[in-house]
Amino acid sequence: MFERFTKEAREVVAGAVEQAEAAGAKRVDAEHLLLSLLDREGSRGSFALVALGFAEHKESVRRALEETRRRAGLSQAETDALAGLGIDVTDIVARVEEAHGAGSMAPGGLAEDRKSGHRPFGKGAKDVLAAALRAAATRRDRRIGDEHILLALTLRPGVPAEVLADHGVTYDSLTRVLYGAGEATAG
Amino acid sequence: MSGATELADRAGDRDPRVGLRAVAALRRLLEQLEAVQVRNARNQGWSWQEIANELGVSRQAVHKKHGRH
Repeated sequence: MFERFTKEAREVVAGAVEQAEAAGAKRVDAEHLLLSLLDREGSRGSFALVALGFAEHKESVRRALEETRRRAGLSQAETDALAGLGIDVTDIVARVEEAHGAGSMAPGGLAEDRKSGHRPFGKGAKDVLAAALRAAATRRDRRIGDEHILLALTLRPGVPAEVLADHGVTYDSLTRVLYGAGEATAG
Repeated sequence: MSGATELADRAGDRDPRVGLRAVAALRRLLEQLEAVQVRNARNQGWSWQEIANELGVSRQAVHKKHGRH
């Protein structure tokens, strides 16, 4: 599937594996693709992020992703949905961490439990890469670049899309800076 | 931020999407809680059978889900 990926897109994929490894995660997830994209320079994807003023929010994005991980991988919207049922996720996580250690509610367990070994791509990350193929097809782009991975991250519901949207990066704002105002979908 | 606040505001209403998302989120929270408790029990030397008894599932089910591959 990677033969149509540009060099930049392949680097994002390889970088995501490194991010998963550094985090001690069991699988490569969509979050790791986003973290990897944050490190890019001089690519179409990084150009779009700079144009949207996203570059200065890198630390805030990393923090938001880390907070999410500690919260059993639940996004802010999911945490709020549970609060609507009277379930305080932050409180639960605080109590569990008190008994079992910081980061114990992070998916994949404590970082020190998993240092090495093969990391498969999780469903979320595979879905993003498949959506990147479709995003390129929709735009009639022959090659899949890192900007298509970025577009795909905004299209797939989940933590990366939510964190990106919180920082002003949506499918519409991306298509505007990548392809010009006339190309953005109406509304 | 607006999306999150909106979801919270609408958590009590009858939109199935809001309710279903809350259930999916609760399931993930539950899965993580289970992983923490099973790991703790194993660290304290509990057998898979003992853990399965407390969780109300079969030994095979709990081992398949939480055993190291």
